[in-house]
Amino acid sequence: MKYEIVMGLEVHVELSTQSKLFCGCSAKFGADANDNVCPACAGMPGMPAVTNQKAVDLGIDAAIVTNSQITRTMTFDKKNYFYPDLPTSYQITQWFAPICRNGWVEIETERGKKKITLKQIHIEEDAGKMVHDARSGTSMLDFNRTSVPLIEIVSNPDFRDAEEVIDYLEKLRALLSFAGVSDCKMQEGSMRCDVNISVRPAGSEKLGVRTEMKNMNSLKAITAAIAFEANRHIDAIETGSEVLIQETRGWDDDKGITFSMREKEDATDYRYFPNPELMPIVISDEWIERVRSSLPETSQDKFVRMTQTLGLPEYDSSIITRSKALADIFDQTMAHFDKPKEVVNWIIVELLGIAKGDNKGEDDIRIDCRKFADLIRLVDEKAINRNVGKKLLIKVLEEDVDPENYVKEHGLGMLTDTSLIDKAVSEVLAENPKSVAEFKEGKLKVVGFLMGQIMKKMGGKADPEAVKSILQSQLDQL
Amino acid sequence: MERFVRSESAGKKDAVALEQCIMEKGKPATSGSKMLNNFTAPFDAEVVSRLNATDTSIAGRVEMREFAVGGSFFDTQFGSPAIEALLAGDAGFALCSDVFGEIRSKAPMAGLAYIHPTYGSVSRYGLIPLAASMDQIGVLCKGLEAGFQLLSKIAGSDLKDGAMLSEKEYEYTKINRRLRIGIPTKIVALASEADQTAIKSFCANFETENIDLTHFEIAKQVMTILAFAEASNNISRYDGIKFGYRANEYKNLEELYVRSRSEGFGLPAKLAAIMGTYVLSRDQYESYYEKAMKVRRLIKNSFEFDKYDLIVLPLSISDDAYENLSLYALSPLAGLPSVSFQYEGQGIQLIANSKDENALITAWEVAQA
Repeated sequence: MKYEIVMGLEVHVELSTQSKLFCGCSAKFGADANDNVCPACAGMPGMPAVTNQKAVDLGIDAAIVTNSQITRTMTFDKKNYFYPDLPTSYQITQWFAPICRNGWVEIETERGKKKITLKQIHIEEDAGKMVHDARSGTSMLDFNRTSVPLIEIVSNPDFRDAEEVIDYLEKLRALLSFAGVSDCKMQEGSMRCDVNISVRPAGSEKLGVRTEMKNMNSLKAITAAIAFEANRHIDAIETGSEVLIQETRGWDDDKGITFSMREKEDATDYRYFPNPELMPIVISDEWIERVRSSLPETSQDKFVRMTQTLGLPEYDSSIITRSKALADIFDQTMAHFDKPKEVVNWIIVELLGIAKGDNKGEDDIRIDCRKFADLIRLVDEKAINRNVGKKLLIKVLEEDVDPENYVKEHGLGMLTDTSLIDKAVSEVLAENPKSVAEFKEGKLKVVGFLMGQIMKKMGGKADPEAVKSILQSQLDQL
Repeated sequence: MERFVRSESAGKKDAVALEQCIMEKGKPATSGSKMLNNFTAPFDAEVVSRLNATDTSIAGRVEMREFAVGGSFFDTQFGSPAIEALLAGDAGFALCSDVFGEIRSKAPMAGLAYIHPTYGSVSRYGLIPLAASMDQIGVLCKGLEAGFQLLSKIAGSDLKDGAMLSEKEYEYTKINRRLRIGIPTKIVALASEADQTAIKSFCANFETENIDLTHFEIAKQVMTILAFAEASNNISRYDGIKFGYRANEYKNLEELYVRSRSEGFGLPAKLAAIMGTYVLSRDQYESYYEKAMKVRRLIKNSFEFDKYDLIVLPLSISDDAYENLSLYALSPLAGLPSVSFQYEGQGIQLIANSKDENALITAWEVAQA
């Protein structure tokens, strides 16, 4: 029998605000435990919540780029549950009037374009973290993340396979990171995705039993989790090996399986009610326009600019515009060195090559774009050759050296003096009579070997074009 | 628990006593609960900062009913430590949080007066909350004139409280306006003869209008539902984990919660927790909380301050304290300012429109003359 997989996504994205959602503490990632904590986000009484307006601005940004209908009078509500990592015993979220509803995001897979519709986006605060110390048998609390602002983007059950899910997450990441809403890093947890999944016989209208999957921290893990869970559902339906129940399941990345976390999520009564500390927030036309007019270029706009105005290939442009980090590097480097094709090549071939070799994500590339531009210019102006440029790039990335100074200090400037090159070519030909003989027999591939020997003799700094032509002419004269 | 914890300035004529729900940095702030017996305030409440900035002495800390839950209908034994402090000469004023009318009802009997200001005019930064939609720091005083002078020192917007009015400061003065008083005749008729006589005598100084306060009887239920709901949420942070009382023995997290709360909370907090949790539960939300919110809006809309400037109310209409709660529920539910004071030996309450405290002062002064 054929089956259809039906999935809906809940995506949590951490907002790029300086401070937390309802207090002035820093929202920055990576501080020491409990460094970013005040009485309010530690759950002490007496500090009324005060809304961070920047978070609302970013929520409006998210609404705009997802084509959503903005709620004109939105509320913050309280969700009650007890857990040590939730110091107030309630989470401030939006239950009754979320910031927006009914948006959509267009995805594209091999089967063409498709609109994924969104139920709603709401703003809420994050919880803290409980760390268990197995040796001492104690648990410790870190409230740094407590009250850091998030948005949760809730889709309708529009997904039918993992490819759609992945493309949606990539689209969402591009939309939100270019808009400055979030840096959307799955590894650091600033983008998290829960997948609601059910399976039904193809053609059936009735939805199957739904399970919710959590704890996937990469796109690869999401793809694997969907495959595993869909198979588990189909096995259960076909063989009756187990009875499917509505539950939340965790993903174990090492074992490649999902496991039951808790059953009957709906049974929890969160006792939602409007937060009486906070007035409803009225979002006016003016407010929306102010946010809209200050929105940075979207990835789509940038793609159009790169292909049409700058005349770059679509393939190159799509790589650059799928990541905010790469697009920023492109723009900032272009500001210092205005040859788009050269800049794109250096980013895609060299920079991404190095990052891949280091197992780094695109978003984790850190480079001083002025230095990067200087380096590309040095190669472009033939002050150094390309190979020296590649090695210099690693120096710039790892030690932040200044390319021009480094070239001067280490004598890496390209050798273009033809008499020097002429001398080196003669010497290499004299040292390699066997290769010369082979060349005469018509084995043209020895030219490459001879090139290599000459470059090596000249410390890798010779102008390869000049070497090539002088070698050619000397060989021709033999 | 001590009913009055003295500071150095105790006994000074104009010194201000603070209820235990108002935080002073480095001092215990119990809010009347064993749960917070070991809780030390990490910062000064905004009202404390403003008292300090105006060189106003603080007399000490007065005990209060646990988290200010309930009121006289809860039990009558408790009394009012704030009133006692003023009567004993330990303080000239007290700053209190009076949602359930406990102090408003008792102050006039003791010859004192109480000012419950407009909602959102005094910062709640540093006030241990009961019900944020009603919590309002007020002034217990010997006379309203001095009381309003103290109020002007602490009132005015504060960015640290997200639900405040925008006015930076308030000047409370007598105004040249002919005041009209609305008399809810059906309610006044329930008061004692002595109270009715006092009200009649008071109103003789003004133009009057007989009015009907719709939804008056239900105000007590509305306030109880909403205040208990909010209180249950506010006190749920006291779980024995981070600060406050923690049970000595527990085997797991569940037991830590249950024992700490069972031992740390008194009856008022437990009642609020249970009732509040019930009215917020998924199956009951519509019937209680949501309905109460709707009636609250009706109550707010039932005032017609274009027809009158003030409403006069007695302080008691029944021997049942719960029945009397409606008299005190109106101003917190609608966010309106009120004063209660003694007139011709009887207690009277006046309610004015939002931010129209000056009508209250003026009426009081006119009646004194």
